[in-house]
Amino acid sequence: MNDFTVWWAIAGVAFSAIVTRCVLPLLGPRLRLSASVESSLQFAPACALAAIIVPDLLFEHGALNLSALNPRLLAGIASVLIYLITRSTLTTILGGMIVFWLTRSYI
Amino acid sequence: MLRLLWATMTELSREEAYRRGVRDILPAAPGIIAWALVTGVAMIKSGLTIQQATGLSLAAYAGSAQLAALPLIISGAPLWLITLTAIVVNLRFVVYSAMTRRHLSQEPWFTRLWLAYLVADIMFVRFTTLLTQEPNYPHISAYYLGAAICNWVIWQVGSIAGIWAGSLIPSNWGLELAGSLALVALVVPLCRYQPTLVGVLIASLVSFIAYSLPLKLGLLLGVISGMSAALLAESVKPASRQH
Repeated sequence: MNDFTVWWAIAGVAFSAIVTRCVLPLLGPRLRLSASVESSLQFAPACALAAIIVPDLLFEHGALNLSALNPRLLAGIASVLIYLITRSTLTTILGGMIVFWLTRSYI
Repeated sequence: MLRLLWATMTELSREEAYRRGVRDILPAAPGIIAWALVTGVAMIKSGLTIQQATGLSLAAYAGSAQLAALPLIISGAPLWLITLTAIVVNLRFVVYSAMTRRHLSQEPWFTRLWLAYLVADIMFVRFTTLLTQEPNYPHISAYYLGAAICNWVIWQVGSIAGIWAGSLIPSNWGLELAGSLALVALVVPLCRYQPTLVGVLIASLVSFIAYSLPLKLGLLLGVISGMSAALLAESVKPASRQH
């Protein structure tokens, strides 16, 4: 990954943020979203995030690590449980990182 | 936006609305800062330079899209896929703007664009809360502006603090993982709505099975199958809707 590619990637993410926020206001009241389109749009972020997180936890440097002792996987599972119990983002991140550090150094 | 800001300052009741917008965001500041800190640290630990991370934070102002793009940038995914992924993660902004534009329609188009660009999750929630409590609140756009600017400033301060902290913390702490864990905390509450849970499970499974496809196409396949599964689940059981 060289500098030039990274700047293009940054421009791509910035573009996505501007387009999604401004497309409707720019088009004005002419374009209306039907209820079905709006309800399908609401599923997109959750599905996209899941499809990013899961491979990020299971694969390391492109290699599958399905071992029950994979520290990233254990941290991910722990963070789901911690969120369900505490409903706190901060505790989830801290707890998950602690599980990651402990399993990485002691298993 | 300058015209609105000027109008905000010259007219007392607009100024009150603006201040109330600012005040309504302040209680959420610790949460916004924690999230921004993690995003800042994760950007640096994924290999972005301080300039790149700061540029990304200022230009995109979209934490989850930034975090989602990081693994793709690292693994050298093509630009179109990074952009498309970020658009999908940001699609909620389209839904937000579909709702807010009705209340900002009296502003000139350039102001509308600026206001739309400043939308963020927390301030959107506060904005809709105010509208349900006081549907005819006067100077709603001044309220929106106050909330949006307050949210933006808190986020950028936290993000830049995270970027600097990240550049001081050793890489072997593995702190880039905190970015993915932050996304976990974002997705899990969405799964309370059953069709979303179905979509999330299918998206996870498909993205895992299809991981070895070239150009990270497994991600795209995962999103499409997840969304289809969620829509299917919703059409099978429409009565289970909770909100």
